[in-house]
Amino acid sequence: MSIVRSIARIAIVSLAIAGLASPVHAAEPKPGGTLVVGAGAGVRHLNPAVQSGGATGVPGTQIFAGLVRVDDKFVPHPYLAKSWEVSGDGMSYTFHLVENARFHDGEPITSKDVAFSLATVKANHPFGIAMFDAVDRVDTPDPHTAVIRLKKPHPALMQALAPLLMPVIPEHVFGDGQEPKTHPMNAMPIGSGPFKYKEWVKGQHVILERNDDFFIEGRPYLDRIIIKFIKEASVALLALEKGEVDYYPFARVRFRDIPKMEENPDLNVSTRGYEALGPINYVEFNMRNAPFDDVRVRAAVAYAIDQDFMVGKLHGGVPHPGYSPFYRASPFHSDELNKYEVDLERAAALLDEAGYKPDEDGVRMKVTLDYPTFHIDSLTNGANYLKSQLKKVGIDVELRAPADFPSWAQQISSWDYQFTMNNHWNYPDPVIGVHRIYLCDNIKKQIWSNTQGYCNEEVDALLKEAGRTLDFDKRKALYGDFQLHVSRDLPLYYINQEPYVTAYRNSVMNPPETVWGAMQPMDQVWLDR
Amino acid sequence: MFIRNKSAIAGLLLMTLVLALTLVMPAFYPVDPFDIVWGPLAPPGDAPEIPLGSDFVGRDVLAGIIHGGRATLAVGASAALITVVIGISIGAAAGFYGGFVDEILMRLTEFFQVLPALLFAMVLVSLFSQSLATIAIAIGVVSWPPVARLTRAEFLKIKELEYVKAARAIGARNRRLIWRVILPNALPPLIVSATLTIGVAILFEAGLSFLGLGDPNVMSWGLMIGFNRDFVVDAWWAVTFPGLAIFVTVLSVSLIGDGLTDALNPKLRDR
Repeated sequence: MSIVRSIARIAIVSLAIAGLASPVHAAEPKPGGTLVVGAGAGVRHLNPAVQSGGATGVPGTQIFAGLVRVDDKFVPHPYLAKSWEVSGDGMSYTFHLVENARFHDGEPITSKDVAFSLATVKANHPFGIAMFDAVDRVDTPDPHTAVIRLKKPHPALMQALAPLLMPVIPEHVFGDGQEPKTHPMNAMPIGSGPFKYKEWVKGQHVILERNDDFFIEGRPYLDRIIIKFIKEASVALLALEKGEVDYYPFARVRFRDIPKMEENPDLNVSTRGYEALGPINYVEFNMRNAPFDDVRVRAAVAYAIDQDFMVGKLHGGVPHPGYSPFYRASPFHSDELNKYEVDLERAAALLDEAGYKPDEDGVRMKVTLDYPTFHIDSLTNGANYLKSQLKKVGIDVELRAPADFPSWAQQISSWDYQFTMNNHWNYPDPVIGVHRIYLCDNIKKQIWSNTQGYCNEEVDALLKEAGRTLDFDKRKALYGDFQLHVSRDLPLYYINQEPYVTAYRNSVMNPPETVWGAMQPMDQVWLDR
Repeated sequence: MFIRNKSAIAGLLLMTLVLALTLVMPAFYPVDPFDIVWGPLAPPGDAPEIPLGSDFVGRDVLAGIIHGGRATLAVGASAALITVVIGISIGAAAGFYGGFVDEILMRLTEFFQVLPALLFAMVLVSLFSQSLATIAIAIGVVSWPPVARLTRAEFLKIKELEYVKAARAIGARNRRLIWRVILPNALPPLIVSATLTIGVAILFEAGLSFLGLGDPNVMSWGLMIGFNRDFVVDAWWAVTFPGLAIFVTVLSVSLIGDGLTDALNPKLRDR
């Protein structure tokens, strides 16, 4: 079944390579021009094989190609691999590489490089184990065929082969025995993608130039991409309005600024392109200590929170409500779970039942709530809302303001907190982004692991089963069960889905709006001016 | 003298108003400033329950003004006290003993004086905790140098005067000279300076809160501004009213300070 489906998929896909599900523009693409991209954070280096995050990812996916690229529905399409077959048992994936593909220094890209890249990512990337632990070995029968052989079925494999997560890096450069994470060439990489590294002035800009030798004929359209680092969000927005910046992904704007930006006739504002990251916000309970070791107390907090008020009033209707551990664009998202519609009486009853009776001032307990420094609208203002709202059911909340991001992260990752506002990214497959928050063996002193200390063997079994189930419908059912379980156990209570924003000028055509947004190759972007 | 000074009278009246608002009114308006009482960002006059409107969470702005003044004034007063205590101790020692002690203490004073005060206070607050006590201490720690310099100048001047020499001649010890002979005579300008410091400290607290470094658990005027500044375009009232309250308070403190200067200056007496 699965092999038939994959072949059918490849056939459809091969017909549609050029289109790639990007918005179709009637106009003929104009080659040439320089795209200026605004970026907030500085970048450590340019090699996404050993570094996660958007700062490296935006230039990194221009410099390096991956085996496949993903469209706006999470469907993989040919990229460096012109086609692939999956064995009937789902245990081996055979990729046929594009034959004329060369690295930026002229060396051919071979299956050996693919094997080397996968091994490097597995050993060095923060998600290396989650993505490629199931890989037994990569066989290279000939220079243009790479066979990934698995130890166990691994439904997340294709998603993990996107350029951001598994960039194909040259073995003859990075395979010289130096430590990959600190390799000097990470700062000026020889890549395989549509744009070549030209210059990087720290704190200022990265300049990428068109790869004339790119393996897709006629691409990329742009001559050059300049990534400008602008620390202040307001300065970046001003630069965008003045036309000094064309394209500003991860724009750090406040919810209330978005409608104002949309009024500017020169700009487009989009929240698409972040589906593969899937940022979702939640209240996290430290389950090790009283009072949040009691599920009734956690449920009381959930019942006390009015999500409609938060999303609709507090946040002006900008974010999406979120109840599920899955981002709304994820194919595994579903609405079938305990939603805890606001019910203050029920919350009070639960607290009574748990033995937290109100004293003469109506106070049942005093607890401390932490909040991080990012997502100010959702998390800082959300924490202030919680302080006021939870008082209605007798929970006296003291806010512990974070000095900076590291001190908050330190507090949470050392389990020294009662409850906190938090956010995790879904990533394109739950195996990468969701399992880490819930698995018993991921209870670690590390931020964005299972810091709340949740361990339920049934949930563990469901996740492990879902992590090796290839049939989509079966897998979705397993995740459905999983989210029902965790919405009952309530280690986290999800409050909304964070909207990330891309702003770009009208002249930017075909802006990258697959699930990876700005962290996908921009070979089809062109400028109409 | 003081009573005849019009600005001082105005200052006193305003201060009485502020004190009445912050100390007496809470009893008559028992709405918790952290309670959500209405929809968010409702303008003043929208409903009789929220005469001054509501903030971005739906908290009553009037309740914030009435209940938040206490914390603001407390921070101002305690920061001024800390400033004066540190400033007078260091300035008095430097001015009285002179020489090596003076050198060391004045270099220390200069060291604190060249640090940008707001930045230094921000560092202190974020290094320790965002609580009212830390904020008051931080403000005190960054604003004592001018007081120290003033005290030192007064001491340098007064210690050479005849009556001090006379006191020394009849056997007064240093401690007595400092506390009983010189300090009382150096006090008038210091009192004025301390009064003005209260105003500065209140502004400081507002500034820190504006930058998001206020104590989120105690309602204060500065905190209200810090909370609501993101919404100032949509809801001016949530920022303007606490701003006005701070303005009036600082103004009254300044006017009183000016009045005191006149009253305590013998040359201006009975003019």
